[in-house]
Amino acid sequence: MGLLSPQDEATLRQHLATITQPVQLLLFTQTFGGSESGPVAKQILDEIASLNEKITVVEKNFVLDLDDKAKYKVDKAPAIVILSDDVDTRMRMYGAPTGYEFVGLVEAILVAGTGKIDFEPETMAWVQAVTTPTHIQVFSTPT
Amino acid sequence: MAAANPMITADAVEATEFMDLSRKYRVTGVPKTIVNETIEILGGLPEQDFVRAALGLPEVS
Repeated sequence: MGLLSPQDEATLRQHLATITQPVQLLLFTQTFGGSESGPVAKQILDEIASLNEKITVVEKNFVLDLDDKAKYKVDKAPAIVILSDDVDTRMRMYGAPTGYEFVGLVEAILVAGTGKIDFEPETMAWVQAVTTPTHIQVFSTPT
Repeated sequence: MAAANPMITADAVEATEFMDLSRKYRVTGVPKTIVNETIEILGGLPEQDFVRAALGLPEVS
């Protein structure tokens, strides 16, 4: 049984219809000794990808796929790396994207798939003026 | 922010799943944002206030 209701699927499909470029969701999970949320994350991503053909899910093994782990600087699992037409967006999600995290994931997919960033012009200018490496971590819970 | 500038990386972390990190950053309420290990923002803020705080820009009086 799906995690999304038919009504949620219809709403989400409508939002995702604005996507114009391919989005790849790299899912790093650990099969043995890993978190139970890995399979949940995979089901969520598969359900999202089933709603729009431009979205694909690529599974990576956190223990074995060391090159990709290093390339995308993934240090914990489950991890979702969001690519826009194979280009790293530098947006990551760690843990199963349920609850509030699900909304964040959908918004990140929309940014990756449309190239549109919904900032006020002044805010965008501040962000684009950053010239030093800046690592932002946002902690949240599903409810 | 990450999508707008290649110098920025943004991680959304499920706090209950990564308890060691939550303890490290003393996450007692959510959302809690940590920038470069130095800036802490607790709670949600309007867009401009959040970006200003995250980038360490001076506040408008």
